Amino acid sequence: MPDVLIADDSEFMRNLLREILEEDHQIVGEVENGVEAVEVFKEETPDLVMMDIVMPIRDGIEATDEIKSNNPDANVIMCTSVGQEEKMKEAVKAGADGYITKPFQKPSVIEAIEDVVPS
Amino acid sequence: MNVDIQSLGTFNQLAHEGAEEATRSMAQMTGIDAVVDVTKITLLNRDDVGEELTGREFVGVQFAFDGVLEGDTVLVFDADSAATIADALVPGDSPDEAMARSGVKEIGNIMMSGFIDGWADYVEATIDHSPPEYIEKSGADVLPDAPTDADHQQVFVFKSQIEWIDESVNFYIYMLPEYEPLAELMMEQADTEDDAIPIDKLQTFNEMTTKGTQKAADNVEMMTGIPTDAEVTQISFAPITDVPKQVGTETYVGTVVEFTGTPSGYLMVLFDEVSAVTVAEAMMPIEMEGDELTDQHTAAIEELGNIMTSGFVDGWANVLQTSVEHTPPRVVHDMGRAIVDPLAAQVGQHQEHAFIIESEMKTEDIEFESEILALPNEKELREALEALDVERANETQADVEQIFE
Repeated sequence: MPDVLIADDSEFMRNLLREILEEDHQIVGEVENGVEAVEVFKEETPDLVMMDIVMPIRDGIEATDEIKSNNPDANVIMCTSVGQEEKMKEAVKAGADGYITKPFQKPSVIEAIEDVVPS
Repeated sequence: MNVDIQSLGTFNQLAHEGAEEATRSMAQMTGIDAVVDVTKITLLNRDDVGEELTGREFVGVQFAFDGVLEGDTVLVFDADSAATIADALVPGDSPDEAMARSGVKEIGNIMMSGFIDGWADYVEATIDHSPPEYIEKSGADVLPDAPTDADHQQVFVFKSQIEWIDESVNFYIYMLPEYEPLAELMMEQADTEDDAIPIDKLQTFNEMTTKGTQKAADNVEMMTGIPTDAEVTQISFAPITDVPKQVGTETYVGTVVEFTGTPSGYLMVLFDEVSAVTVAEAMMPIEMEGDELTDQHTAAIEELGNIMTSGFVDGWANVLQTSVEHTPPRVVHDMGRAIVDPLAAQVGQHQEHAFIIESEMKTEDIEFESEILALPNEKELREALEALDVERANETQADVEQIFE
């Protein structure tokens, strides 16, 4: 069962992602900003990070950049409401492995995870 | 075709002063004490003109005008207040109906002549108008048909709202000029090209925003299951001091974000309290007890506002091939004007007038309405319009699969 870290400042969205994932994944942490995401990643080294972009203190692109710089094998899927091409390119540059735009439904989340972390 | 901000401001001021002159005339004839609450210039789709009047009965006094400006103008008031005006003119227990109508028509004539005369004086030319026509109609039918123009789907509407002091009654003055003569007149009055707005691009920007509103409505539908349609999308221009008046005095729940990029500014997603509870509960897996707004409702609204905001602004960024960043949403729960006031004050530090981008969405099946308001920095909006490649106007969606190939 893959370990997953959820990084999203919205409690509502963390709950939704947990409900979608907890059947087939181990949720090792839920954090609200990019600083916490980097810290918890170091502690838990999860198989996958579901990373929001717009978060307080530090955004998801910066956090992804740091995680991937230190751990090139880390798997990060951006999970965001932002549907801007330039932002998607920034995510690619930071090393993101996938990109899901909110609102999403369970099949699209599972499909994106399967692309990045095949079962 | 460019117009400068100063001309837009001058034309807005002309409409405002015209409405004040009209209001003074009414006060003189009837003793009704009223003030001009807000005047704005709006660019919107022809079919959406007067959407805000839906569901109510009105009396209108309208006439056509031509000269340096061409089009129609109309004074609109609630059918009930027409009786009060008639009574003020022809006091008595049972005023003759024909006489009452004639009185109202004449008031309208005098008021609207006052409205038009200021324009004619300013441009030092004559604007003639037809005899007034008295009409009783529902909703937007009380307005004249918006002028048609094969080259322009959108029209400029000058609208003044007049508030009857001590009564919850409003009057409205609408002026619907033909597009080309108005645009030419604005260009002629322009002092400088430094702060010019390319108005054809403003139309394109409006069309992009309509798509953004539809995307935001689709996001609402996907998250709640509530079929939601984008209704009206429009860009208005008004003095900063009038911006808070764009939102009613009702209580709203919603989110505010500050966006940065080209353009920067503030964006609000607002729900009335009933709609907020309805939409939040539709997002929740469990049914809530009672109809009060709880922390769970607020968390749901916060995320919905975030997703609607992105749906709304992403299209701008994609067409302009730039990025528009926004802060995490801040939840607001207050009277509409109290929400908008501090944001208008922030924007007003750098400008005297503001463009207000307004969108509405609603559903027929249940009680649900939402408004999106954006207050962009005027200078940056101008830069964005300059940079806008009209050929790319349909490129509002990014292809994530292609980028992550």
